[in-house]
Amino acid sequence: MSGSTVDADRPADPLEARWVDLARAGDEQAFAALVRSHQDRLYAVALRMTGDRDDARDVLQETLIQAWRHLPGFRGEAGFSTWATRILINRCHNAHRARRPVGPLPEDDTAADMPRTPAAETLAVAAHRREAVRHALRALPLDQRAPLVLTTFGGYTHAETGRILGISESAAKVRAHRARRALADVLQEWR
Amino acid sequence: MTAVPADRLPCGAVPADLLTQVTEGTAPRDPAHQRSCPHCRAALAEFEELWTPVRELAAERVRAPADLLQSVMAQVRELSRANWSAVLHDPAGQTRIAARVVGAVARLAAESVPHVSLALGGGRVATPPDTAADPARVAGPDGEAATAVGTAGSRVVVDVQIAVDHGVPIHAVAAVVRERIAAHIAQQTGLVTTEVNVAVVDVRTPHGGG
Repeated sequence: MSGSTVDADRPADPLEARWVDLARAGDEQAFAALVRSHQDRLYAVALRMTGDRDDARDVLQETLIQAWRHLPGFRGEAGFSTWATRILINRCHNAHRARRPVGPLPEDDTAADMPRTPAAETLAVAAHRREAVRHALRALPLDQRAPLVLTTFGGYTHAETGRILGISESAAKVRAHRARRALADVLQEWR
Repeated sequence: MTAVPADRLPCGAVPADLLTQVTEGTAPRDPAHQRSCPHCRAALAEFEELWTPVRELAAERVRAPADLLQSVMAQVRELSRANWSAVLHDPAGQTRIAARVVGAVARLAAESVPHVSLALGGGRVATPPDTAADPARVAGPDGEAATAVGTAGSRVVVDVQIAVDHGVPIHAVAAVVRERIAAHIAQQTGLVTTEVNVAVVDVRTPHGGG
């Protein structure tokens, strides 16, 4: 998902613009086409925001239903993906508010049962480290997590991230930068 | 302890800059110095190790659950049944008319017909926009399929249930109800009524206080 050069905000490819028009007029198949083409990227953002597969699924499902209901108000000033991601991030904020406090991060005991062969051990260490990143992400406050997830994990540009979060491009850049510092700090602390 | 240990490395380089270089792939401020400076290289190696799992995690292929689309679309269809809007297209914009509005117009139209004491029911969208009405899709049980398609358009099918006064010719009343509903909907909403299905569900004595 990262490394994608697709600009979700380019003035939409004509096919997508057509899908949006049809879906706005109530065409479910057109909406299904939009969901199909954006669900993986949206889910990736949801997963990194929530840190949990079930939560990510729930929040994405709610997001898509909300998108369907509000499509008539969507004027196409941003790409569908940007617009849907904005809904998604807002829902993550709401879900977080409703569920707080998150509680202490679970102790990671996966490494204890890992096989002992050198290759497996390397893999286990790598997996363990990625697990640590997942936990570290969850430890970040949401206003830091969102720009970090969008840029580093979602592959969105700073301009897109700004549009999604309703802030300027430079503000998005600063926040993403701070969030990376914060993530590095947490990872360092946990070593 | 933080990832950025001090304000300056012994060589004078700023660790925060080196971290940014690793996490954001920015160009080194002083490439020649960095190549030869052990402090910078150590710090870079450290940050690189710290950030590698982040990159790995970001590169993980994440796919939405296989059944997500299906369950979203099931909910969308459910919503369409309950909350559809008819849409009138105009070069200056579009007008959406909520189902309950069409339903209310239809009910009031039906109740304005003499000998109709009560009307219940609503409407639904007949056919996709820009498509001629297809009786096979809107009549009878297939009408449900037209609803399930959920495509809003400018054509509506109205299902209305009425109670009529006892003793009046029901088929004649139903015919007037049909005409009046279509006329009122055309007049008030600009929508085309493809079909009015009238179900007579009760008869009442004219002075029964219904």
